[in-house]
This record gives sequence, structure tokens and C-alpha cells, in this order.
Amino acid sequence: MIDNLQFALEGAWKVLLAGLVLGAGLPAVFAVGIRSLAFGRGGSAEVDEQAAPHPIGKVLAGLCFLVVAYGVVAGILIVVVSGMGKEISFDHVWPQISEKS
Amino acid sequence: MNAETLTLVLVVVTALGFDFTNGFHDTGNAMATSIATGALGPRLAVILSAALNLVGAFLSVEVALTVTNAVITVQDADGAPKPELVEGGGHALLLIVLAGLVGGIVWNLLTWLLGLPSSSSHALFGGLIGAAIAGLGMSGVNWNGDGSKLDGVVGKVILPALMSPVIAAVVAGIGTWVIYRLVVGVAARFTENGFRWGQIGTASLVSLAHGTNDAQKTMGVITLALIASGHWSHTDAIPLWVKVVCALAIALGTWIGGWRIIRTLGKGLVEIDSPQGMAAEASSAAVILASSHLGFALSTTHVATGSILGTGLGRPGAEVRWGIAGRMVVAWVITLPAAAVVGGLMWEIGHVCGTTAGPIIVFLVLLGLAGWMYARSRMNAVGAHNVNDEWQGTPSATLPAPKGVAA
Repeated sequence: MIDNLQFALEGAWKVLLAGLVLGAGLPAVFAVGIRSLAFGRGGSAEVDEQAAPHPIGKVLAGLCFLVVAYGVVAGILIVVVSGMGKEISFDHVWPQISEKS
Repeated sequence: MNAETLTLVLVVVTALGFDFTNGFHDTGNAMATSIATGALGPRLAVILSAALNLVGAFLSVEVALTVTNAVITVQDADGAPKPELVEGGGHALLLIVLAGLVGGIVWNLLTWLLGLPSSSSHALFGGLIGAAIAGLGMSGVNWNGDGSKLDGVVGKVILPALMSPVIAAVVAGIGTWVIYRLVVGVAARFTENGFRWGQIGTASLVSLAHGTNDAQKTMGVITLALIASGHWSHTDAIPLWVKVVCALAIALGTWIGGWRIIRTLGKGLVEIDSPQGMAAEASSAAVILASSHLGFALSTTHVATGSILGTGLGRPGAEVRWGIAGRMVVAWVITLPAAAVVGGLMWEIGHVCGTTAGPIIVFLVLLGLAGWMYARSRMNAVGAHNVNDEWQGTPSATLPAPKGVAA
């Protein structure tokens, strides 16, 4: 009982941490992307419809969406790789697949 | 066909039936928010989710044979059934599995009728626990594991159930709050459109993960039954046909769509806008994937519901219908014991009626109950046509309002 509680708390805070980074962090980056896109487009995309377009906004938006896309691909990789009985590690940012230890 | 074969066939059919209810019970976990915000049409949403569940189910190549080990003790650690339970064609084990599956299905259907998103894995585990207690006594249940890892009813079911909705709600709440802060000053018509794409992407991830996690459980149960009755002997592989039919059953269930539950999750709990929908599904996807990556077993349903609740809390001014949230929590708490009671009862019925007639009668009882609940649901049907109607009360088992009264 006590062992289980300890294991569960150990697991829970890791899940919370990963959840915050990926589940709240990536949507935030996506939101920055949307914000930049609106800034880039100007006009009717902004609340102030007189806002001028800023090309730099589109570049920034592209970067943000790339980061999000990386997160989504990583998510799919986790599903696929663990489904095949292998392990995936993100210790070096770029995913590394290995046999389950 | 002799009695053993018939029992085996009934177990396989019932397991697929459970897989099917698992599919439609959980469609809403992935798609309720996208349907509610209009990011996807209801029909398109369930087709997309079904397709991804199908793909996900085939991705689960890893053997899930030890699925029952989390809660009951009918198998060894390598997945082989306990020798004393497989004597004489494995009837003892098959009856426990059959009764457990019936418990899971009955509870899944009842909560669906009430529009409550309860956990399908808890229903299955509950049914198996009840059947094991009835058949083997208290020692038939793995309450706490052996202390070397998170295991047993406490470690794999109760503790994650308490923690996962809270984790999901915190993540979704913070995500929602941050998103709304970041897009202040951008026109709503612009954000709505952008976040819809985010919603579709994140909801798809949740569907894929669901197919991988949940279809495996039924595959494991069917393979266990095949081994117990001597029709399969490998504990490190699952027959291809089992994989195919399980994948199809969960996808078909998802495609049918549990509209009553979708409605509760998408419209009942909180009113959702696209940014919230994306925050909720992103939180669900991240929490589900992170926990399966870390070996922390949890229920997709608890995570999805926690996320949706959290996104209501994270947006200033949004309304959370606490009455509905309370009903859901009650359903979660009683899912395991209630399914256990049904599972136990079914085992007693099957046991009393003898080895030949018992399983048949249990199966007929299941058909009767399922038919009754289906008929009941037709009285106030929820479908793609009215899933997004203005929220006026929980689609419960209460009778529809009399004609002439605006209902």
C-alpha cells in the first residue's frame, strides 16, 4: 500500500511535469504562432483593424508551428515505438529508438 | 460443437462486444471538444477517430497478454494461465473471464445511457475483480502487487484514478489561461480558425493513443481464453485474427459514436471555444502519452474529463457545471464496485447453471440487459443531429417531456 503510494507519487509528478511542458507549453507556443501570424497579416486579423502587416510576424509564426509540429511528431513516435515494444528516449532532443531494456 | 468450444466462442464474442462498447464509450474523450466547437462536423469527427483507433490498434504489436494480472491472479507473470484453472478445457478460467466481461459491458452501457463518461478500463477491471472474488475468493484478487512496482488494484486502478484527472485539469487549466493571455489583441475570428487546426491535430493524437492502449486489453483477454482452452500456446504472440477483429470492433464502436457521452463532455460540463478545445486535447494527449511512456497506467476517460474541466477553470468567466462534474465523479467512484457486483453475480449464475448451460444463460442475460438499455436509449435518442443542441439538462434515463412541452 505504502509502496504503491510512493510509486504513484513518483510517477505522478513526472507525468505532471511532462504534461505541463508538452500539454501546456506546446499549445502556448502554438498561441504565440497564431499571435505572430495575426501580427504578420495585420488588418482584419487584429482587433485594431488599422494595424499594418509585419512580414517578420510570419517568419516567427513559421518557427512556432515548426516547434509544435516537432512535438506532435514526437507524440506519434511515442505511440508507434512503444506499440512495437521498443523504447524511445528524448535525452538528446532528437528522438532515439532502442530495444527495451 | 461441444460445451467447451461453445463457452470459448461466447467469451470471444463477449470480449468483442466489450471492445465495441469501449470504442463508443470513449469517442467523446478525443472528439467531444472538436464537435462542440465545430472544428469538425460530428460525422467527420467520428470517422476520423475511428480510422485512427484502427491504425492505433494495429500499432500495438507488443503483447498485452498479462492485462488481467494488474487486478486478478488467474495468470502467471509470463501470461500463462494458472494450471489449476485450465483443467477440463479451461472452464473455470473461461467463466471468470466471461462473467467479468459481462460486468464491464453492462456497466458501460448503463453509464452510456445516463450520458456519463466513466472509464471502460475500470468497468473491465471491476467485472474481472467481481468474477474472481466469486470464483476464487479474496485471494483471486491482486490488491497491492508485490511492492516492487506500481501494481494491483490500488496501484494500477485506484491511485491513478485519483491522480490523473487532477493532473490533466492542472495542465489544461494552465494551458488555457496562458493561451488566452497570449492572444489578447488578436481578433476572435482569426484565433477561432487557427485553433481549430490545433484542435483537430491534438484530438487525432488522443484517438491514436486510445486505439493503441485500449484495443490491446481485449486482445490480451481473448488470447488468454484461447490459451486456457488449448487453442493457442504462445505466451509471446497474439493470433493475427484476434488483432484484426479487435481493431475492427473498437473502430466500429468509435464510428457508431457514443453521442450521449460526447454531448455531456462537449456541451454539458463547460461551454467550449476552440482555444479551450485545443488546450484540453493537448493536455489529454500529453498526459496520456507521458504516462504510457513512463508506465503509469491511467484511464483515457479520467484524463479527458479532467482536461475539459480544467479548461473551464482556466478561462476567466467560463462556466463549469459542477452538478454534472459531481455526477461524473460519483460514476467514477462506483464504476469499479458496480461492475464487480455484476461480474460476481454473473459468475454465480453461470456456476449454478452448470458447465454447459451456465455460460449460455449468462450470455442471454447480457443480451437481455443490453437490449433493454438500447430500447430505453431510443426514448430520448442523441445522435449526430442533436449532439450540439443548447444544453438543457443531462440526457438521462428519465422519460422525455410530454408532447407539446418544449423539451
